[in-house]
Amino acid sequence: MKKVLTTCEFCGCGCNFYLGVENNRVVAVYPCPSHPVSQGKLCIKGWRGHDYIHSPERLKTPLIRQGDKFREASWDESYKLIANKLQQIKEQHGSDSIAVFSSSKCTNEENYLLQKLARAAIGTNNIDQCARLCHSSTVIGLAQTFGSGAMTNSIPEIGNADVIFVIGSNTSEQHPLVANQIIKAVKGGAKLIIADPRQIQLTKIATIHLSHKVGTDVALINGMLNVIITEGLIDKKFISGRTEGFGALREEVAKFTPQKTSRITGVPAEQIIEAARIYATGKSSSIIYAMGITQHTTGVDNVMSCANLAMVTGNVGKESTGVNPLRGQNNVQGACDMGALPNVFPGYQAVANDELRQKFEKAWGVKLPSKPGATVTGAMNKFIDGSIKALYIMGENPMISDPDINHTEKALKKLDFLVVQDIFLTETAKLAHIVLPGVSFAEKDGTFTSTERKVQRVRKAIDPIGESRPDWKIITELSSHLGYKMAYPSPSEVMDEIAKLTPSYAGISYNRLEGGGLSWPCPSPDHPGTPYLHKEKFSRAGGQGKLFAIPYRPPVELPDANYPFTLTTGRVGFHWHTGTMTRKDWALNREIPEGFVEINPQDAAKVGIRNKATVKVSSRRGDISLQAKVVDTIQEGLVFIPFHFAEAAANKLTAANLDPVAEIPEYKVCAVKLERG
Amino acid sequence: MTENIYAPHLVTIEKIRNEAEGVKTFTLTFKDPVERESFNYRPGQFGEVTVFGAGEAPISITSSPVNKGYFELSVAGVGKVTQALHLKREGDIIGFRGPYGNGFPFDEVKSNDILFVAGGIGLAPLRSLINQMFSERNKFGKISILYGARYPALLCFRDDISRWAELKNSEVLLTVDTAPDNGWQNNIGVVGSLLPKINMNIENTTAFVCGPPIMIHFIILDLLKLGFKKDRIITTMERRMECGLGKCGHCNIGEKYVCLDGPVFSYQQLEELGENI
Amino acid sequence: MSEMKILDKTKLVEFLEKLMPDFEVTVPSYNNGNLSFSSMAHARPEIDFAGRPLVPPKEYFFPQQEEMFTFATKEGKATIKAHINKDKRVIWGIRPCDLYGIKTLDSVFLSRYVDSYYHARRENTILMGLNCNEPCEAGFCSSMGTGPFATNSNAFDLLFTNLGNQFLVEIGSKAGEELIERRANLFATASDEEKNKSNEIEKQCKQAFLYSVDQDRVKAALTKAWDDPLWAEESKNCILCGGCNFICPTCYCFNIEDIADEHEQNSTRVRYWDSCQLGGYTQMAAENTRKTQAERLRQRIYDKFSYVPARHNGAIGCTGCGRCTEVCPSEINITHILGILGRQK
Repeated sequence: MKKVLTTCEFCGCGCNFYLGVENNRVVAVYPCPSHPVSQGKLCIKGWRGHDYIHSPERLKTPLIRQGDKFREASWDESYKLIANKLQQIKEQHGSDSIAVFSSSKCTNEENYLLQKLARAAIGTNNIDQCARLCHSSTVIGLAQTFGSGAMTNSIPEIGNADVIFVIGSNTSEQHPLVANQIIKAVKGGAKLIIADPRQIQLTKIATIHLSHKVGTDVALINGMLNVIITEGLIDKKFISGRTEGFGALREEVAKFTPQKTSRITGVPAEQIIEAARIYATGKSSSIIYAMGITQHTTGVDNVMSCANLAMVTGNVGKESTGVNPLRGQNNVQGACDMGALPNVFPGYQAVANDELRQKFEKAWGVKLPSKPGATVTGAMNKFIDGSIKALYIMGENPMISDPDINHTEKALKKLDFLVVQDIFLTETAKLAHIVLPGVSFAEKDGTFTSTERKVQRVRKAIDPIGESRPDWKIITELSSHLGYKMAYPSPSEVMDEIAKLTPSYAGISYNRLEGGGLSWPCPSPDHPGTPYLHKEKFSRAGGQGKLFAIPYRPPVELPDANYPFTLTTGRVGFHWHTGTMTRKDWALNREIPEGFVEINPQDAAKVGIRNKATVKVSSRRGDISLQAKVVDTIQEGLVFIPFHFAEAAANKLTAANLDPVAEIPEYKVCAVKLERG
Repeated sequence: MTENIYAPHLVTIEKIRNEAEGVKTFTLTFKDPVERESFNYRPGQFGEVTVFGAGEAPISITSSPVNKGYFELSVAGVGKVTQALHLKREGDIIGFRGPYGNGFPFDEVKSNDILFVAGGIGLAPLRSLINQMFSERNKFGKISILYGARYPALLCFRDDISRWAELKNSEVLLTVDTAPDNGWQNNIGVVGSLLPKINMNIENTTAFVCGPPIMIHFIILDLLKLGFKKDRIITTMERRMECGLGKCGHCNIGEKYVCLDGPVFSYQQLEELGENI
Repeated sequence: MSEMKILDKTKLVEFLEKLMPDFEVTVPSYNNGNLSFSSMAHARPEIDFAGRPLVPPKEYFFPQQEEMFTFATKEGKATIKAHINKDKRVIWGIRPCDLYGIKTLDSVFLSRYVDSYYHARRENTILMGLNCNEPCEAGFCSSMGTGPFATNSNAFDLLFTNLGNQFLVEIGSKAGEELIERRANLFATASDEEKNKSNEIEKQCKQAFLYSVDQDRVKAALTKAWDDPLWAEESKNCILCGGCNFICPTCYCFNIEDIADEHEQNSTRVRYWDSCQLGGYTQMAAENTRKTQAERLRQRIYDKFSYVPARHNGAIGCTGCGRCTEVCPSEINITHILGILGRQK
């Protein structure tokens, strides 16, 4: 048996393990004790979640639509067809009539190449990926406050924090090896504050649980800041020496007395005071958040509020402190780093900046567009109005993952031309004109960047299944058919090009990664990488952190007489996103085989439903039927539905209400009604 | 080389009968004539059924060992394998290995009065025993059969039931939880409500109880109240199983494996095992 | 006591290499700082290692996943093909805890109904044990009577003890003896001095353990601990990864799945390691017979310290290797749990 060390393909923890390979099949998993995050531990997805690799349902050849069906086709025919069609659309309607969705499941090298294909070969900045749907508010919110839109500290540091504030993250289920650090810290005496409308598993070991109403995060944090400022718990030296904007912030949060905050959030005033004191008096207090913060119309505001809290108490730029967004996908950090975003080149270098653009034009030998492109969410409307005619998707499944999927379906069906590159015939691929078979993480080389900004190797363990090809290879071959030649012997050379053009990755090479991962910024080949950011100064222009005064805005769609419940969506620990991978594994499916709606016992009694009964849940956009799970761990008036299940797709209900800056949808709040199904 | 204990034997589906709503009875014969002749089992034993492509599931044998050359399984289509089995047709080949488990006591209860209490498809394993007892009718005392289902369409083995009712020194009572208006002349209520309606010499009666766990739970309470001794209440336990042979670990109740030491237990044994019943 | 030999440490690799034409020789080896069993065909044996690989050698007899059968059905006919692995293998460097684990698996898979898959792999594998000169960080094998030196001479073919510059080699079986005879020139007869040295190492190692567990007190406590709040308390952080079972040298539970090909005419029956800590382990169509994590943790501990001994003549089901603690993302610590039980009155 061959054992191949690689990086997990599920969440952003970036755990490493070995894949055991026999006869070109993955038949075993071995944990990796020497890895600082995984430490020889894995969650069930790491142990058992890889069966999809050999699923009989894997795509094995390119498929070309013929009426209602697909026929198998050769690569050559498919490339030619795609190239001709894209050229034709480009000639008739211009480069910006084509959009590209990249993938946070794919490698850095693939994301780099696909944004290069969009910008250099097609000539558009219409490139985005699902970070839009999970952490675009982080990228923007932390860039504005700190200068860098990523986790400030490394995962192992969390274990040494003496206060941990978890807000909007069900860490045990979504980032199990981060939860491990929290558990360790608490066992070592650390205090744990949880702010969450549900009693998540970590509340069992929390010092205090703030059960605030969904969408009241800004008010809650302003309230905590009010206490901290009133009681003189601020870090004056840090505020005066390292930040700007404190005056305006103080003025705004003065309005958020504990009593007023309590009225907005539903959290008792004394709990707000206690949490504020615990957080502010910790020697090293660390904030951990995930999509409970980001997926709101106030996503950017929520993120900036977290930054305010950290800066006012001097909890950033030090070990075991900081503001730590837990990125969902294995490589969503990397996909952003690689410029699979409509406004920036790799390394967050603005496309609108002439100097930076010229650097890329010189390197890529072609004129590049300067106008920022369409986002994943923004593009949907452009499909409807006809200004975008063609879409190329690599490894995303918007038919399950996007808000209001009835609208998504309408939008995708309006397209003249849709190409989907994936490993399965997903709900989205079924709508495509051409489907190209990519490969799983076990069949290619590359790198993923974990949530702690750590670039780590993904190593090929087996040969591609059937005639499928590594995604980086597909992009280079298609680009060449489009008349823009890309030739790389292997992903290692792609990383060399990335390093040349991306200052934060400048010191990274495959040779160096053999010794373990490197956390960016890693500006030179002798730089050891950066476990925590903003040590002496912030990476923001000028080096100061920026405090923002943030007024509270309620969510857009609140419950009313017709839709009296609030729906919040999320994930479970046994499944991954749109379920294309995890729903093929017996163990994961055995744990949770179908969708469900969590509902409080009081509400269940009101609606007249029992545990396990079928419930119809409807919103203004659609309805689904699924099993009721009556639990006392959720607030009255609130229901929770995981979005993994196509047959009971939560996103038929959600609304495409977007944050005005980040264009992230408010997945966490919409109004629904419940009926016996 | 020893025999591969996990290897299914090929069996032909000779006949399929719609037994009740969602329940089919399959008459099966081994393809191998030697196997067909030598196959023997005790009522209460079960086998692992393979539907090729779908998987394997434990199913209790419902025919009586008196019937030679073939055996029967009655199956509710509730899981992946049983649903696939329901799609099979007469003449199709499936896999079977068994018999497994201990089976019901038979010689041990001779000369006893016998009480059967069954719910829904829980009658399937008891039917095997009832028919075997009736084949040696004079060796047992009074045989009472209480059988219930949620509604009439879920009652299995109607032919057997009418035959049993006519045999001497036997009594059969039926009940349903709810009945539509059309023509149900029998009792209404849970199966436990039938207990007061029969005369029993409890000192000399052994009770066999089979059905959904919640039913078993309440019937056992009723029987204890009536004065049944714990070792005279016999039931079967259902647990998730993979192998049927005491290897896969799934079906343990305390230190016992349901597949090896069960599925038939007296209430006394279950109480000693501790785990929730 | 069986006959003892001496092998110069520098000759071990030669001894193993000579076996390679006839056997897949499997040895502990480091890969990126992690110790694991690997084929000597592409790994350098680690001779002076401490501790044990995180995944025990049970997988050579009971793999993480194993194809049992392939089924082909076509036009009313069905054929069944079994896949029995008979590769000849030598495993060197198996720690006493893992030798004990293999004996436990033997008592499951080779008793009453013999499991052909396990049997074939076991028959064709030579076990070369290696006693421990120092305890593992989280280990408590000395309390379980399973280590640091192998206690059961039926559990190995050859048993090595590291004396510094030499290995003391104890012969446990005819098969082991034959391998030594093949390379008799490499081995010398052990002197009393060398045997005494080995005893001294064992004594010192036993004194160095950080953890001790009172087996009898634990067993006694379990007769009264069924409804103890400790099960809920200790399992509250469990995220249901299954790791504690997967890496346990004595855990043998498996799940069987049939995987159909695209056209469903052929299918493969595969068995996989399963875990009693997963909710689905006891899930049936309509109900689950162990609903809470507290019940599942209780099952794991009772199984090791009560059920396995009851089924297998009192033999304890825990080797004291400490792996379940090491691999747990939720920091559930077996010595902590056993400590609580051991202190109960």
